[in-house]
Amino acid sequence: MINHETELKLQAYLDGELSPGEAKAVEDLTNRDADAWALFEELKLTKSLLAENELEVRLPESRGFYWSKIQRQIEREEKEQASEQTEAAASSWWLRFLAPAAALVALAVLVVVALRAPKGAETLVALDDSHEIETPLEETSSFSFQSEAAGMTVVWVDSHRE
Amino acid sequence: MSRKLDYPSAADDALVKAAQKADMQAFEELVARHRDKIYARAVSMMRNEEEAADLSQEAWVKAWQRLKQFQGEASFVTWMTRIIINLCLDQLRKQKRLRAESIEQLDEELGGVERQMPVVTPNPTERMERGELRQRIDEALGKLSCEHRTVLILHEFEELEYKEIAKRMQCSIGTVMSRLFYARRKIAALLAGWKREEFR
Repeated sequence: MINHETELKLQAYLDGELSPGEAKAVEDLTNRDADAWALFEELKLTKSLLAENELEVRLPESRGFYWSKIQRQIEREEKEQASEQTEAAASSWWLRFLAPAAALVALAVLVVVALRAPKGAETLVALDDSHEIETPLEETSSFSFQSEAAGMTVVWVDSHRE
Repeated sequence: MSRKLDYPSAADDALVKAAQKADMQAFEELVARHRDKIYARAVSMMRNEEEAADLSQEAWVKAWQRLKQFQGEASFVTWMTRIIINLCLDQLRKQKRLRAESIEQLDEELGGVERQMPVVTPNPTERMERGELRQRIDEALGKLSCEHRTVLILHEFEELEYKEIAKRMQCSIGTVMSRLFYARRKIAALLAGWKREEFR
């Protein structure tokens, strides 16, 4: 019985996939081994039967109808592609201006905060009558803010202070 | 002033050049000329007419989109056939994920039933019309596993080399050789079996 490697060699010989040296060895084998020759003939006949007899199939749609489907799909995909490109262009425009705009806004906020920042503790106390800020002398690590108008009391405790 | 192209009588090359310049009428002529061949390849690989029609349509759309990449190394129809083959292979790969393949793989590793078969003479051409023979061969192809059928189509009908088939099917050359061998042996057995039935 022929081993699988030899079977594949016989097939490769048939398909012209062997080097001249290997082809010669397989040819010698088919000349002296009846089993190898029979298998080679079977493979050869099968190959030729297949090569010459592929079933002819026709598309069961008219030329006009088939083309109209293709054309519609081409147009649809072109539209989609165009809108994707527009979106991409728009987003890149935004991205181009987003970074400097953000920097400008941050700078403006910084300027406003700096201008409005309290100059000293007096400013904090100089609120209208409805507000009170208490800073107990013995406990300087806490402050309390009370507003009658807003009806709220807020106490700051500086836990990091020793 | 350039002469207007006579589409029905123009050669494929001229139509391709016109289509590359966005001439849709030239492309339509190419579709009309080769649509049956492209569809037939999809049918043989997918074994499903509806799926084949959808895939062949998709292949034409892709061809239009990539037409500028076509440099004319091979003929236009060969280039188109490669597109449909790749689409079918992608689709088969997707479907294969849903199927258990372990039995088949094991079968291949062990040598398969086909290896144990005695050598036959698959010559059903005697007393058989060509059309009938083609029908029989197609039926036999339908009885093969997807992997075996695909390798046979790519080798026998598309005349691709082992190396090229391995690349397209994403497997080793050894696997291609093995699959081709079992596919041929099974086809031989099926054709010989039909021949025996006829003489009975």
